[in-house]
Amino acid sequence: MMLLAKAALGLTGTLFVAGAYTFHEGVIRIDVDEHRAGGSHVHMWVPAAAVPMAMHFVPQKHLREAAERSREALPIAHAIVKELKKYPDLDLVEVVDGEQHVQIRTRHGKLQIAVETPDQQVHLLLPLSTLDDFTRQLEANAPGA
Amino acid sequence: MSDCKRGFRTRTALTAATTLLLIPGLALAQAPSAKTSSALSTTSAKQDRWLHVRVISSDAKGETVRVNVPLELAEKVLPAINHDRLHDGKVKIDCAHLNDVDLRTMVDAIRTAKDGEYVTVQGNDNDVRVAKQDNHLIIHVLDKGKSKRSQVEIKVPMKVIDALFSAGKDELDLVAALHALSGTGDTELVSVKADDNTVRVWLDSKNVTD
Repeated sequence: MMLLAKAALGLTGTLFVAGAYTFHEGVIRIDVDEHRAGGSHVHMWVPAAAVPMAMHFVPQKHLREAAERSREALPIAHAIVKELKKYPDLDLVEVVDGEQHVQIRTRHGKLQIAVETPDQQVHLLLPLSTLDDFTRQLEANAPGA
Repeated sequence: MSDCKRGFRTRTALTAATTLLLIPGLALAQAPSAKTSSALSTTSAKQDRWLHVRVISSDAKGETVRVNVPLELAEKVLPAINHDRLHDGKVKIDCAHLNDVDLRTMVDAIRTAKDGEYVTVQGNDNDVRVAKQDNHLIIHVLDKGKSKRSQVEIKVPMKVIDALFSAGKDELDLVAALHALSGTGDTELVSVKADDNTVRVWLDSKNVTD
């Protein structure tokens, strides 16, 4: 009985620490809603902390290929993300065209991209720190790095 | 209770009392630095300069584009872009398209010249006015086209133009120009008023467009 209690306590403690870490790092949120018959509705919440960990499991060959393909864009992306982190609440771009609406902004240190059209809505929420980690890891895998 | 235990408790009580007495002192000592830090961050926030672009289309759809960019962000990101003619925040000018006009000499001449109107063209299709006023270069174009009328006003501080031409002979230093721009006050740089849309590019300390 005591052993079971200790195991439960250990499990609860681990879950609490993992939850706290996940909460601290934030979540990546992807929402896609297609407003038509048979349209798909995708709502995904991914712990941001999982991204750097998951990248360790991506084969080096694929990482190198991705880094090679985005070689020109990586330093720009890295510079933008690094600077955006200084502006946690920034309305960067907003385009309104009739019923279409595109918005790129940062809120609470997260990059928000929203595209709304009459038949589709896409919302993306990405912690800037995760984007920074991602670009760093890709840059580290670039040929000649 | 033994003397040893009593001594330990006395020492603990004394330490606790001293700590409690010191905490307000430490807090007070930290208060001015906290205030300074807060003041600094406020000053820093005040010093942020923002470049705004707003395009409003007056067609049926009423397209609107709003862009807000912190100048500091643009200054840091531009050097990272190395594409085509843009390298290290400088853009190469193709001399072949300048019809042998020495831009640098022209800028030098404008800088040293007194305020006044340099070019005034009044035609059937366009009116063009180039002037220097209060250390600003002003370009005013009125397109009197029959189908669509448009009015373009460009007002650039001279020190920004100087910075723009501060690089090599055949290149424009965009980063230096942005840096010079960040030192200027609130100003409207470009204004385009046409029948079908209006465009405004301006600089201020607000992080949102009006």
